[in-house]
Amino acid sequence: MVLGGLYALFAVGLTLIFGVLDVINVAHGEFFAVGGYLVFAALVLLHLPPAAGVAVAGLGAFLLGLAVYPLLIGPLKRRLGRRPAGSLYLVLTLGLSTFLQSSLLAVAGGEYVRVPPLVSGILEIGSTGVSHQRLLVVTVAALLLAGLFAFLRWHREGLAVRAVAQNPEAAQAMGISLTRIFVLTLGLGAGLAGVGGALMAPLFNVYPAVGFPLTIKAFAITILGGMGNLVGALLASLIIGVAESLVVMAIPSQWQNGVAFVVMIIVLLLRPQGLLGRATSR
Amino acid sequence: MSGARFRSLRRLVLCAGGVVVALLPALAPHPFVLSLATQAVIWALLASSWDLLSGYTGQISFGHAGFFALGAYTAAGMAKHLGLSPWLGLLLGTGGAALVGVGVGFPALRLRGHYLALVTLALAELIRLSAQNWLSVTGGPFGMYDFGTFPGLPAGAVARAQATYLLVVAVVAGAVAVMLYVCRRTRAGQAFRAIREDEVLAESLGINTTVYKLLAFALSSGFAGLAGGLYAFYIQLVSPTVASAATTSLVIGMAVFGGLGTIWGPALGALLLFAVNEALRFVGVVYNLVAVGLTIMVFVIFLPRGLAGLALRRQRLTVRRDALRAEEDAEPGQPEQVTGATPSAEDPRSTA
Repeated sequence: MVLGGLYALFAVGLTLIFGVLDVINVAHGEFFAVGGYLVFAALVLLHLPPAAGVAVAGLGAFLLGLAVYPLLIGPLKRRLGRRPAGSLYLVLTLGLSTFLQSSLLAVAGGEYVRVPPLVSGILEIGSTGVSHQRLLVVTVAALLLAGLFAFLRWHREGLAVRAVAQNPEAAQAMGISLTRIFVLTLGLGAGLAGVGGALMAPLFNVYPAVGFPLTIKAFAITILGGMGNLVGALLASLIIGVAESLVVMAIPSQWQNGVAFVVMIIVLLLRPQGLLGRATSR
Repeated sequence: MSGARFRSLRRLVLCAGGVVVALLPALAPHPFVLSLATQAVIWALLASSWDLLSGYTGQISFGHAGFFALGAYTAAGMAKHLGLSPWLGLLLGTGGAALVGVGVGFPALRLRGHYLALVTLALAELIRLSAQNWLSVTGGPFGMYDFGTFPGLPAGAVARAQATYLLVVAVVAGAVAVMLYVCRRTRAGQAFRAIREDEVLAESLGINTTVYKLLAFALSSGFAGLAGGLYAFYIQLVSPTVASAATTSLVIGMAVFGGLGTIWGPALGALLLFAVNEALRFVGVVYNLVAVGLTIMVFVIFLPRGLAGLALRRQRLTVRRDALRAEEDAEPGQPEQVTGATPSAEDPRSTA
């Protein structure tokens, strides 16, 4: 469930970006790593309280995400005009991923960074104990996701985001600034990943490449849930999270990370539109 | 007329480059230089093989590190566990990678763009996981070593480095030549381009897209495997990190740098980017990947045709200048414009 919550924070952001911009953000995991490092900087170096640390991480990743559209995707889009982009965006964000990852390496060094738990203590449920940290991850993830869905459902800007995802031209005709929505969406997605990184930092260790395997896993989740489908992504996150936890009983744990990839390949072969996706002609 | 002149100029430059590459062991007979050069040439093959599938045929692969690793592990494993000759190992590595490439290509026929990229990425991750966890065969995280090298090399350090370099250059040049031949001179090359531009249209014109896509997969992954085999026998160590996404990222960076869809562009890009990378090592090891990331981003946004694109652009520019001159000739009295063979690439009139 903890993994599921984390994946949900992560994959929903990725799905949101894909749904709105039609761009697969290969650099998504790097925002997770940035969040981890920011929470480390806030807690260990600046001695801020944990809540402030998480906020700093989320905000930092959000701001970084805001910069992605004006600096990278926007210029490419302008240059391409109406020509098909093909996989240029994929290659572009792959470049961003390499750049951020190695910049983190240059700034923070390659060593594993330990972050103290945000909250301590263990909750006893029957014979098993669950650390408060894990409960916190699930709770915050659930709250944030609920907030995101509420934002998209009721808030003016959120409605605009959904409108752009459905039909950019029509949305533009209604007076919605596409650029504004694109910038906002990337910021939101990155912010969610950053909070995820901050929350998980005490459980994982933080290192520059920490996010990349997550990105790949989030692709699998996105595909399982149906590309661009937020509810599907949420459901698929929980499924993969639980499946990974259960599968450890059957196979050695070092193969655990393979589960998502195998699921992804099978889904692509059997039901490419994903669990909740509509059949589209791609 | 100017086009022909340009082409002969390009041929001249290519020939000069080829002579330098071939004579490098004599020009700089130092094991360190030769070692770097050998690695650069291996990367050139890998970048070209990626370009054949992704740049030329438009089937984007994010898993070339996987094919590379597969070739490397197969070649090294055959030599280590079965005691086969490295030559046979190279062949088997190539064949094995090509087979897996077709195996991936087959289901991936239904997928395009994003999906294909993601599947190949997942495949490379699976290969990396297998390499890391299949201890008895791959040696796990520490990798595989102690499997011999090319037989029949001279004993001295310098002579050995020279011979290895020439060997690798010969193999890579042959492989790149095969790819160029297939793409430029055969029907397959036309089919590849047609698939890249518009798959549905290509199919409606009677091109068997299934066969040609599989062919592209086989060629591309096979040559990636060959590069892997060369790498294994040259570096003498194969570890799971070669299958990591960073390798793919580097290869794509090289291809984008050199120019997508030209085969020779990525090879050139690989040589140059590798040189830049190694030079940056003196500044600090971590900065070379920062540079790769920056290169990818800058080139994708501003120069998607890479260095090769600069050449093409220049060609177009000369053509346009010819047209301009023709117009001027129509109006007598105008002084003839100087058309240097190397107009600035940053000429504001050149359009992307």
